Amino acid sequence: MKKLLLLLIVASFVMPAASSAQRKANSKQLTPRRTAPVIPSNSREATLRNQLGNALRMAQGGQYESAANALFSLSRRTELADERPQIKYILGTMLIELKMYQTAAFQFVDVIRTKHPKYSKMAIEKLSVVADSLGDDTILNYAISRVDLNDFPANLKDMIHFRLGEIKLRNREFGQAAELFGRVSYGSSYYFQALYNKGLAELEANQPALAIGTFNKMLDARRKAPVTDTNRVAAQIGLARALYQKQDWEASIEAYSQVPRDTIMWHDAIFEQSWAMLRAARFRSALSNFQTLHSAYYEDFYMPESLLLRSIVYLYICKYDEMEKVLSLFEKTYGPVRTRIGDFLKTTTEASAFYAEVEKAHFMKTTDKSANLRLPYIVLRHVLDQGDVKRSMHYIEKLNQERSRVEANSSFRASPLGQYALKILSNRGRNAKFAVGDMVKAHLLNMRVELRDLYEQAGFIRYEMITGRKESIKKKIAGKDIGTEQIDEKVDRQFYIQNGYEYYPFKGEYWLDEVGNYHYLGKQSCE
Amino acid sequence: MLKNGFKAVVVIVLALLLHKAAFAAEVVDLPPEELAQESVLPVFDKPVSVKNRNIITDGRFETDVFYGYAMTEPIANVSKIGLGIYYNTSESSAWGLLLAKNSSGLSSYADQLNQQFSLQFDRAPSPDMTGMIDYNLKAFYGKMSITKSVVFNTLLYGSASVGAVKYVHKTYPAVALGLGQKFYFTKNWAFRFDLRLYAHQAPVPFLAGRLKPAEPVPNYSDFQERLTLTTNLDVGLSYLF
Repeated sequence: MKKLLLLLIVASFVMPAASSAQRKANSKQLTPRRTAPVIPSNSREATLRNQLGNALRMAQGGQYESAANALFSLSRRTELADERPQIKYILGTMLIELKMYQTAAFQFVDVIRTKHPKYSKMAIEKLSVVADSLGDDTILNYAISRVDLNDFPANLKDMIHFRLGEIKLRNREFGQAAELFGRVSYGSSYYFQALYNKGLAELEANQPALAIGTFNKMLDARRKAPVTDTNRVAAQIGLARALYQKQDWEASIEAYSQVPRDTIMWHDAIFEQSWAMLRAARFRSALSNFQTLHSAYYEDFYMPESLLLRSIVYLYICKYDEMEKVLSLFEKTYGPVRTRIGDFLKTTTEASAFYAEVEKAHFMKTTDKSANLRLPYIVLRHVLDQGDVKRSMHYIEKLNQERSRVEANSSFRASPLGQYALKILSNRGRNAKFAVGDMVKAHLLNMRVELRDLYEQAGFIRYEMITGRKESIKKKIAGKDIGTEQIDEKVDRQFYIQNGYEYYPFKGEYWLDEVGNYHYLGKQSCE
Repeated sequence: MLKNGFKAVVVIVLALLLHKAAFAAEVVDLPPEELAQESVLPVFDKPVSVKNRNIITDGRFETDVFYGYAMTEPIANVSKIGLGIYYNTSESSAWGLLLAKNSSGLSSYADQLNQQFSLQFDRAPSPDMTGMIDYNLKAFYGKMSITKSVVFNTLLYGSASVGAVKYVHKTYPAVALGLGQKFYFTKNWAFRFDLRLYAHQAPVPFLAGRLKPAEPVPNYSDFQERLTLTTNLDVGLSYLF
């Protein structure tokens, strides 16, 4: 960084002199009569250039705060309009050094707007890096939209390919997205994310065979990483999903079972594995998973579909009483959820009110304290886990950190640059919160529609349950009913102990070390 | 509506086709990939060891009756019978009152000394009653299974008590520290085991020239006093309500 600064500073001494000489020449050509007032003007410019030189020397000496303040002041001088792109660019780099990424981003945006032949291009590079670290989509899209890949330094091309791929993926241009992700080179820090997104794009394009290859490639590349390595686990679950999409149920079940339990993705894996088990007609196995998914540990998880899936499995094995219990649980749990989402959407229009709810839920999620929520916590927790909301909340967190850094330094806070930074952060924070509010509203609308559909399905399932129960009663009357004996009824406890398993009869108590280890030992009740 | 109806019909038809294959053989056959292959715990926002506890103690009373055995008492009778009542202020703390009545007579060791050396330790003062205020710090809640259908919930706790030990002639302040374990065989009833170390001033029962039949009977005040440590094991039955 210091080397770069040195280069910039050397350049800054050359560039202003050249531009000044050029301006003087132009001045002579166009307005020869203005030669008289040139002396005071030159003197003022000389003073300003001297100040600029001092600011750059401070930057070189590592006095970033003083340099930034001086550059900020100089960037507002009309006399230095020609040097403004350069001043703002260096100011931006100073602000990066001060870890004030959002304020820096604004400097680079200003430089890009000037369309300066040299500094605009450099500012786009810097803006891309800053926006990437902030995770701000708006700035990132602005930077990317002005990128000419051929002019970009090789070290940043991977990042640009990755971000462009993301944009294409969002626009559902899956082929192009996969192609762009494929261009990210192996050594890049974006490589594994790009590989994962490539697999995702291939799945979206309904090319599971290609996706399987991509996820396997990613897994091979992460083979030596720890078992809970995020990229490795993401590749594993991606592979399982690709196999499911390929309708290779058994391979998919096996791939899901390889997702480590002590990772956050395991919860999704166990639910999705239940679907694969259902499709593979492994009902007992699916019911084992449901014992975990419907344990008290998941009371904060929004999983209405899993309850209906469980009731369908019970329908398959003619367990109508169990089915009734699960359907009742679905209605008891998600009936109030549906009502409260509906009421909230009817009575709330302000984006800020939507944001306020997720902010309270985020507070509850990250601390042991409770908050007065208008929406059920399971709903808000689900919304908080959505990618767009998560990313924006992360961005807001970054803005708060930057604001704290400014406020912690009283002298900087009182300076014009400090005040300017606080204003920027305040505006960006407000706008980001409005954006999150809109995202939350969109998710709530989707959830309302989803719950309406699931309620309809629950109605059909209940109808089938009643029909099945009627048939069962008829058979019972005719003496064709089968007993209620469980599969393990005659198997001694020693059987399990000798085989190295812990065996506890389930008495309604859930233990953390048992989650994921439940095995349903009932049997089907169909004739 | 129609779309959902169609989905439901597809699922139900699938059910009819698949259910016979799924339960063709009713044997305990747990596929290897479903068996526990890891000893790690799942990740949750706020992980807790147990949910839906069978034994909820917070805000509830507990009474117990117990038999106490003084493991290191050489002379006095080692047995006592006691009663306790506790109030659980939380899932981790309980406060209680213990009262125990010592059995009269001497220990078997004292009887042997009497037979062999004619030492009459019944001339020495012996403990009569114990009353303690007891605090329990409930550290570990767990469970164990010893048969296919029986599960015990267990509770391991530390205890700290202050109170008094009354001898036949005098009462001494006492403190005790200990460890305890409860085994809940129902949601209300439990076996309770307490191991406590008592510390208090107590008369030394050995008094030269005063314990044989021919020697003059000593006054209780003739016995010297010293700090005495006694290890006590209480075994009882506890009821939570």
